[in-house]
Amino acid sequence: MSPSFKLRCRFILIFLVALRGESRYLELREAGDQDPFLLLSAHLKRELAGEPLYRRALRCLDMLSLRGQFTFTADRPQLHCAAFFISEPEEFITIYYDLVSIDCQGGDFLKVFDGWILKGEKFPSSQDHPLPTTERYIDFCESGLGRRSIRSSQNVAMIFFRVHEPGNGFTLTIRTVPNLFPCNVISQTPNGGFTLVVPHQYRNCSFSIIYPVMIKISDLTLGHLNGLQLKKPAAGCGGKGDFVELLGGSGLDPSKMMPLADLCYPFQGPAQMKIGCDNTVVRMVSSGKHINRVTFEYRQLEPYELENPNGNSIREFCLSGL
Amino acid sequence: MRLPLLVSAGVLLLALLPCPPCRALLIRGPVPGARQAPQLPQPLDFFQPLGRQVLPVQPVPLTTGEEYFFRQGNLNESPAAPLWSASSPLARRSSSHLSPHKAAANFFRALRQLRSLPQRPLNSPASPTERGAESALSGRQEALEKERRSKETTTSLDLTFHILREVLKMANAEKLAQQAESNRKLMEIVGK
Repeated sequence: MSPSFKLRCRFILIFLVALRGESRYLELREAGDQDPFLLLSAHLKRELAGEPLYRRALRCLDMLSLRGQFTFTADRPQLHCAAFFISEPEEFITIYYDLVSIDCQGGDFLKVFDGWILKGEKFPSSQDHPLPTTERYIDFCESGLGRRSIRSSQNVAMIFFRVHEPGNGFTLTIRTVPNLFPCNVISQTPNGGFTLVVPHQYRNCSFSIIYPVMIKISDLTLGHLNGLQLKKPAAGCGGKGDFVELLGGSGLDPSKMMPLADLCYPFQGPAQMKIGCDNTVVRMVSSGKHINRVTFEYRQLEPYELENPNGNSIREFCLSGL
Repeated sequence: MRLPLLVSAGVLLLALLPCPPCRALLIRGPVPGARQAPQLPQPLDFFQPLGRQVLPVQPVPLTTGEEYFFRQGNLNESPAAPLWSASSPLARRSSSHLSPHKAAANFFRALRQLRSLPQRPLNSPASPTERGAESALSGRQEALEKERRSKETTTSLDLTFHILREVLKMANAEKLAQQAESNRKLMEIVGK
């Protein structure tokens, strides 16, 4: 085999590998996009490494979207408290017990829930989460400091706590860990965009937006074989195969929401829908045979848009439930 | 001669021993572990704003059909209310409107309703032996149910989407402020 032919084969091989769907690994490793500090000198990095951890007091009802150390100290009996944690879609949340001073025998508790639960409705739903509901609760009074660090399975988590005695409390450190293929996500903002990728995984993934939104799906890929698009793509829907569904409802649990649209075939080019529900979910059902990808953008509906439904609008269903 | 003696001894024994058919009647009810149809008061019945009472008891979990809420052993206690600020009137309300005994009685009454304890047929009055066996069995059943429920307890929070969005907005504002502070420090270092 001549050297030039070998060189050509190697180029073709590299080209084919680059076309595979797992190029997401490369996206995350680009220094400029992900971590601007990588562009700085070692000296500057050393200075910044000494930056103190963000600290503040935790409230009885609180929401945290940043890393740091948070301390709750009861100034009086606090019996019904919860704190929500939310990170970027591409991050897991790690909760670390620094200090816990509660009286478990006296009725205090501190529980971490893997996900969010609101009015009994869970995100992710029981169907989409790898653990049964009981195992999603980690009770400090049962596990103690034996399980000192807890990592979530998605970008949201929460804690429930009760402290009777003033002066008692706890300190947590919240950190984040990268998640290369986010599966279940709650959006922090009412406006934005996301690409949901499920590569050869037999799982269902949901992206939840807790606002009434106009959603525009620009790209849907269902099935991907050897770098080439299938001529007859995997036809889903009807409960079989791979597909994407749009859900709307007034609760948090995607399994209790109304399916508004099913996207069964790949397409390119925007398809938009106005969904006037409290919660909008883009859910991808994957068999694991293919690499599936859906790209979408969303923006919050203005009040006048909610009052004047026109075009492709599914407002009536959600408002009739109120 | 011997036969009638044996028969009468056998009848006497049967009369004194616990009756297996009676035990089967007492166990009539939901099979442990089986899915129960929720014949329960609606969850809204528990949201009576009659004030909350702090009971110095161990938390006893209840399931309300859909494993919905976590109770502290007081029916009249509202569920985890969204106590956003310390100045919330709900947070300050700590006076009890029920005595501990009445509250506990309410709790156990509801517990019986929720667990659908087996009912004895109206036409068969209970004998002392039956009542004793019944209470022992119900106690055992209650312990089993309590253990099962403790594993199935789900703690949840009642919060509207509106409040959730508000706290999320505040969290995002805090994150932006913190990011601005970090950028400021970075620029200070870069500018040195």
